[in-house]
Amino acid sequence: MSASRRDFLARSTQLGVLLGAGVPLLQACGGDDKKTSSGKDPIADGLSPEKGPLRIINYADYVNLEVIADFEAEYGVKVEISTIDTDTEATTKLASGAIKADVHHSMAGTSIGNLIAGGLIQPLNRSYIPNFANVISTFNDPWYDPGARYSVPYTFFGTGIGFRTDRIDRALVDEQGWDTIWNATDFKGEVSVLDDEREAFTMAMLRRGVTDINTTDQAIIDQALADVSELIDLVNVKVNIEAYKDIPEGTTTVAQTWSADLIAGAAGYLPEGVSDEVLGFWHPPAGEYVVTNDSMGVLAAAESPVLAHLYLNYLLDNEVAEKNFSWVGYLPAIAKLDADYVIAAGYVPEHLRNCVPTADEISKALFLKPLGAEGDAKYEDAWARFTAGG
Amino acid sequence: MTATLQRESRSRTRVWSVFALPGIGWLIGFFLISVYAVMAVAFGSADPFLKTAIPAWNPLEWDFTTMSDVLDEVFTGYLRKVFVRTFAFVGLALVGCIAIGYPVAYYAARKAGRRKGLLLAALVLPFWISYLMRMLAWTNLLQPDGLVNQFIGWFGLPDDRTWLDGEWHTVVIGLIYGYVPFFILPLYSTLERIDGRFIEAGRDLGASSFQTFLRVTLPLSVPGLMAASVVTILPMFGDYYTNSYLTSGSPKTEMVGNQVEYYLRIVGQPQRGASLVLVLMAMLFVLMVYYMVTTIRQQKAADR
Repeated sequence: MSASRRDFLARSTQLGVLLGAGVPLLQACGGDDKKTSSGKDPIADGLSPEKGPLRIINYADYVNLEVIADFEAEYGVKVEISTIDTDTEATTKLASGAIKADVHHSMAGTSIGNLIAGGLIQPLNRSYIPNFANVISTFNDPWYDPGARYSVPYTFFGTGIGFRTDRIDRALVDEQGWDTIWNATDFKGEVSVLDDEREAFTMAMLRRGVTDINTTDQAIIDQALADVSELIDLVNVKVNIEAYKDIPEGTTTVAQTWSADLIAGAAGYLPEGVSDEVLGFWHPPAGEYVVTNDSMGVLAAAESPVLAHLYLNYLLDNEVAEKNFSWVGYLPAIAKLDADYVIAAGYVPEHLRNCVPTADEISKALFLKPLGAEGDAKYEDAWARFTAGG
Repeated sequence: MTATLQRESRSRTRVWSVFALPGIGWLIGFFLISVYAVMAVAFGSADPFLKTAIPAWNPLEWDFTTMSDVLDEVFTGYLRKVFVRTFAFVGLALVGCIAIGYPVAYYAARKAGRRKGLLLAALVLPFWISYLMRMLAWTNLLQPDGLVNQFIGWFGLPDDRTWLDGEWHTVVIGLIYGYVPFFILPLYSTLERIDGRFIEAGRDLGASSFQTFLRVTLPLSVPGLMAASVVTILPMFGDYYTNSYLTSGSPKTEMVGNQVEYYLRIVGQPQRGASLVLVLMAMLFVLMVYYMVTTIRQQKAADR
């Protein structure tokens, strides 16, 4: 059943792609003469870049500003960044025209299909992006964008447990897996789960051995809600995405979190005199490991589409990606920057090697896929119940 | 002669009423139309892909399914807990604002003398720092090894209290801290306007200073108290960031504002978010009506 469900979802994403090519859905957004990209083709080969400015939409602190300055110098243009707090906010503001941009820097996999179907992003002309060859090959044909026609990967990370090795035994975490979170009753108030309905409920499902993480079966979602709600009384759970600083600072001991948070935490958030040895990460075995990535794309309404392509290409340059990673802490999907490389270069401590998903783990990974408005709403309504107090 | 005067005064009234136009324009533009827009979103639909709101501007097309779901949850479901909690937090914060704000406003208005200007400046001072900055400062002060715990440790109290993992009193303290200046200022202006001769008369007639306060000053300051309460509790009901910052997102302290934020900003179910806004507005409207009725009654009593 789970396989057919996944097939269905993959097909519905492809359907979305087809829709984006043929049917202008934007009348639905209330506008009449919106930048409809129906049947929009990629830009032609060999165009010279526009004069800019290049307008980027991105989360705060999610790109190294030195990299931006280098790009400005190299192409003689200004770069303007609009920041957003949530993926939904980006979609809403781009759809309404509240933000006009050329590059969407950080599209969630769950949104790309919708952005394509909604005609908000345009197909890419790969001739401007030779550095795509640097990308980890698994991302050549990602589930969210078959053939990577509309997007290039930016960063990727896996979901696991971040913990303090000085307070909880590594072997115990390995043995207990996801149960570690439910068993952390000695650390009341120092336990957190990701502030994301899909991530948190998926954790509860995987704990019960459910690997069809894109299910819309209400009974399974209700069970996940009940399980996650238990954490309120068991461990006085916190709900946030701040483990990257809370674990190093010590206010959180055990957290469901993203692998990149430990790398970022080791690099920048340990108090003076605290060794990065206190940081530990566990993730489920390949096959049950959820790997997520953010992607970059060019907006359909871009005024500087050529420049936008060049920017995507720039970020996929091996050295630029490394420079960006050294500040951002989230691994770029660049083949050269594998675990051996980033450890040897001193970006990641050896004992956090498992924070870098391997090619094998990525190829066997589980992906959180969009479930359609109705399916998503099931998770969202369950989440609203949990955050209301269970 | 009298007729001319009357006509003149009438035309003068007409001139003065022009002064109300900007206010009326503001009310129509930023209140009535906005509320209508919220209704259009609540009773409209959402784009299936982009999940953006598709407002239903025509009332004939309004769809009340989401609203009736929300109402069910508010009266019998999980949202009841959230509404009760929100009213409790705001109620407690209001009590705190009165306990802290009244004496300060009273002192500033009636006893501060030459220091009055300085005191008022001090009251406005917190506004120079952004609200979010002040809340972030609190999260530092309230850390397990933060200054607040050190401070209470000096008095022999346990200094290992946790404040930030979903404690209701931290949220209430945060709300009081954030809104008490808004409470003091309107109250101050009412207290300052109280005619000192009333108080003298009270004392002359043999009342003690406490009795005078209770029977003269306090009743005369009720309009100010009411205004100050309205000014503080309305924004408190919609507050969500105080809570988010001070509890690391604990499910134990979720307020209505957090649910609205979730549905409108985090995920795309604008109809549900807007329906919650309308339910909260309806409840606050009842409070507003009570406020207006009492104010009008008081005005009439004063005119008599």
